[in-house]
Amino acid sequence: MKDKDLLGNPLTDVERETLELYDRLKKLATRPDAPPCVERNAKKALSCLWQAVNDLHLRFEQLYDAGV
Amino acid sequence: MSDSPYWNPKTETMPRARLDELKLFKLRALCDWAAERSPFHKRKFEKAGFRTSQLKSLDDLRRVPMMTRPEWMQSQAESPLFGDLLAAPPALATRYHLTSGTSGRQPLRVLDGMKDWEWIAEAWCYGFWAFGVRAQDTVFFAFSYGSFIGFWGAHYCCEKIGSLVLASGNMTTENRVKQIVEMGATTVCATPTYALRMAQQAREMGIDLPGSRVDKLIVSGEPAGSIPAVKKMLEEQWGAKCGDTAGMTEIGTIMIFECTRQPGGTHIIEDHFIEEVLDPNTLEPVGYGVEGERVVTSFGRGFIPLLRYRTGDLVKKVPHTHCTCGRTWDLYDGGILGRTDDMKLIRGTNVYPRAVEAIVREFREVDEFQIVVWRKDNVQDEITVKVELKREGARGADALLAKLGKDLAAAHEGLRFNVELAPEGSLPRFELKAKRLEDERKLP
Repeated sequence: MKDKDLLGNPLTDVERETLELYDRLKKLATRPDAPPCVERNAKKALSCLWQAVNDLHLRFEQLYDAGV
Repeated sequence: MSDSPYWNPKTETMPRARLDELKLFKLRALCDWAAERSPFHKRKFEKAGFRTSQLKSLDDLRRVPMMTRPEWMQSQAESPLFGDLLAAPPALATRYHLTSGTSGRQPLRVLDGMKDWEWIAEAWCYGFWAFGVRAQDTVFFAFSYGSFIGFWGAHYCCEKIGSLVLASGNMTTENRVKQIVEMGATTVCATPTYALRMAQQAREMGIDLPGSRVDKLIVSGEPAGSIPAVKKMLEEQWGAKCGDTAGMTEIGTIMIFECTRQPGGTHIIEDHFIEEVLDPNTLEPVGYGVEGERVVTSFGRGFIPLLRYRTGDLVKKVPHTHCTCGRTWDLYDGGILGRTDDMKLIRGTNVYPRAVEAIVREFREVDEFQIVVWRKDNVQDEITVKVELKREGARGADALLAKLGKDLAAAHEGLRFNVELAPEGSLPRFELKAKRLEDERKLP
């Protein structure tokens, strides 16, 4: 479902880029080797980008296991 | 897209059938989450014999057991501090808040995680953007920033939008009025009651509020923001458009807002909530245009899954076509109409504080008022409305009181209201939610 939203619509360019960034941030926010300044800011950024992927129904998931 | 009238055009203008698909998708995911992580919901689901797989269409929402405030309070009492609703460890929370306590009951304690707190601001963004708040605005919050959640989310919403935010914390009313004018605030956020209080203060200070830069007044926290007479009074006294919003601590944010078209109702944020309207006695759904109790399911705060929560709010849903703004989201006609538990039965007649306020506020000379319910000779229930008049209204006081009593009776099946003049400054003033009804009857 990387190329479609939760209702099966094809992604726009903006949506694709938003989703890619979200997935990259999720990985970065949970890297065990990231220093606090990276880890905490990545988590904060992820909590913001979650809003966009949720609003656009690209993803609907909880992030508590990632500490967010 | 920054000139879009919609915060999220994709869902705000989505065809309703697609909106239902989206709600069903989110509902299934939320039920799975709640069943897996929240002991409270797991227990309730098992007791009701409910499984997520039973959700074939949105109509199956009725299979999900409802939750109530007493259940939540009981859960907190049995396992302090937060009960067993939590779906995530408290150590992951970044915010702690309480319900306002205006109902006199034990406040509910809520926790939010990092993304929940961002979501709370996000829901406010839908409303503020729809009412025209933009980066160039300067937004003043007449709010005490305590444990009550109130306008906290709206503050962070404005930071997100890029507005200049003025937080007034523990300022006096006088200093707030001064800062609004000195800083050139364009938007002011307060409860309707406190917005009237600030306007009164400005008059006493000789400050011309309608001549200030304020062009948007955004209110929340009381049903009065959607009472036409109150809205008109606020708009005249501030020289600004007044937009209503409503939310609750249990969801952490707002679920309804007025757009700039202001068709007499508030849009429901339908991609983040399922709002049902049910007959409070039979719990059967009521149709468009029929008053009933709000029951909310929230897709936002995962920390405390909220599924079919009985709010006690009285509302009347109307179709989105009542508004011409282009949103496909239905509205609550007249906003929040009252609460199922604030109705008073006086000698066989139902009296709602909001209905009394709607009539009292038709009298522009009234500055403040209070409703007192009492029992005469331990037998007969009486209702008294005490009013304080503005100085300029004092001359015609007798005629005004008589007319007010007549109008109140006419709207309540001829029920006699005692109307009394209260000395200037004697009635309580409020910053947060006003509590203008005192029931002095001794309960059995």
